Amino acid sequence: MLSLRLQRQLADFRLDVDVVCHKAVTAILGPSGAGKTTLLNLVAGLRRPDAGHVELDGHVLFCAEHGIDRPPERRRLGFVFQDDLLFPHLSVAANLRYGYDRLRPAERRFEPGQIIDLLEMGSLLNRRPQHLSGGERQRVALGRALLSSPRMLLMDEPLASLDQGLKSRIIPYLRHVRSDLGIPILYVSHSVAEILELTRQVLVLSDGAVLAQGDFFDVARDSRVLPLLDEHGFENVLLVEIIAGGDGACTARCGEQTLRIPPCHRPPGTRLFVGVRADDIILARRRPEGLSVRNALCGTVTEVSSAGPTRLVTVDVGQPLVAKVTPEAVEELELTAGEQAWCLMKTHSLRLGPESD
Amino acid sequence: MAVLTPDEWEVLFLSLRVALASVALSLPTAVAMGWLLARHEFRGKLLVDGLCHLPLVLPPVVTGYVLLLIFGRHGWLGPLLDALGLRLAFDWKGAVLASAVVAFPLSLRAVRLAIEEIDPRLEGVARTLGAGPWRVFFTITLRLAAPGLWVGAMLAFARSLGEFGATITFVGNISGQTRTIPAAVYTFLNQPGGEAAALRLVWVSIAVSLAALLGSEWAARRSRHRARTT
Repeated sequence: MLSLRLQRQLADFRLDVDVVCHKAVTAILGPSGAGKTTLLNLVAGLRRPDAGHVELDGHVLFCAEHGIDRPPERRRLGFVFQDDLLFPHLSVAANLRYGYDRLRPAERRFEPGQIIDLLEMGSLLNRRPQHLSGGERQRVALGRALLSSPRMLLMDEPLASLDQGLKSRIIPYLRHVRSDLGIPILYVSHSVAEILELTRQVLVLSDGAVLAQGDFFDVARDSRVLPLLDEHGFENVLLVEIIAGGDGACTARCGEQTLRIPPCHRPPGTRLFVGVRADDIILARRRPEGLSVRNALCGTVTEVSSAGPTRLVTVDVGQPLVAKVTPEAVEELELTAGEQAWCLMKTHSLRLGPESD
Repeated sequence: MAVLTPDEWEVLFLSLRVALASVALSLPTAVAMGWLLARHEFRGKLLVDGLCHLPLVLPPVVTGYVLLLIFGRHGWLGPLLDALGLRLAFDWKGAVLASAVVAFPLSLRAVRLAIEEIDPRLEGVARTLGAGPWRVFFTITLRLAAPGLWVGAMLAFARSLGEFGATITFVGNISGQTRTIPAAVYTFLNQPGGEAAALRLVWVSIAVSLAALLGSEWAARRSRHRARTT
């Protein structure tokens, strides 16, 4: 359990946070400039809060009242940055051992071999960071942090610089860390899709303050929250189960309804995350006919919130789905809470995400 | 180029000794100061920065005279040095000090730039991995700044080898004690028939400086290479 009470005044920005994170993975969401990175730096001890109290599982890391300020090297928190920040003058093996070698044997929770296997880094060990691909570098950075046996992982947009394909390859590793190694994670991201593939427990930061905390889909009902997350284009995530494969497309079950998703070469019964951008969803009041669009999910409108010149309509199709439409469309179709709507999605605007547990 | 006379060999060895000792004195100071200036904000930083660069813009003779005022027999620190049994003025150790002071701004600039180029978050991540500030400094900062350190060392060495004004003002031109290559060339040129000896020392000077330049370039490339490739 991580309890945070932190205040920090920067030139024209004030961070003031008071939260408790219970869950294995807590995602910190928010627009850029909301103070997400500052928050992680304060927790890690790389920056000093003006006031407050930070406590992780009974260990006090910072307490202004009692003058406690553990230096970062004594906090035992693993930090993974957006750009991996591997030490360029050391080999992969030496990077991995940098934190491990600093630990007393009794403090070591993992052995290098174990982490190297988990993150499949065996073939990388003798290489230099400069000769690794983006995904490999991020895996090494994660492994390096894990081998320092952290009490918690702080991850600052660790996948933001990777392309979509690499992201879906790294996320399963993070899920391993969460479930197999039992290390709690504080995960900063602006990508809702990325987060939902890891956790539903989120903390929304805006202008240095906590706007909301809790299950993502509860939080997203708050009409102030969704527009904030739309900054980089909002992507929905649906959990589906594959029913049948095929040459052109697969069929998957999404609650009571079915979806045609791009070919995915996975056996029936596989549970999978599928991403669909809010911009790519067309809303209709009746099931349309004579369209090439393969997918039409029926649901009930639960929320209409405004994000600048557009409207975000949340439709409960068994799982919440957010569609981005114009205010005129909302008016013309009379989209209000409680009304029925069909969400139309092209098969090829669906993104195959990682498998679910 | 004829073989050097014993006196000229002595001049060469004294010059090398003074230049190497000067590097040994100025480089660690430059590293400490470069790190301070590159990584910390404090009151009066601009003034400290200016003072560090003063020997670069002052006429060397003025620097030498200031050193004499501070460290000379009757200087401000004279009694203290006497008590310690340390003699600087008109001694080869004084030549080292004069060279080091004059060379310091050059190595400081190189070291500071090298440290400023290092992403401070690399040092931050090393801290979170359990390394204390000193260990981070030695295993990350210094290692990554190594090419800049080589450049700084070379600049300091070359500047020390060529040091004349501050040296001759502070420690004079005593054969076997403080007569380095520039002072010797100057002396020979003032003696009738000294041109041949002066010319030999000019050649020696060119050879040593060129060797230092190439050597440090090679070392800097090697450490840069080691930092970037397998």
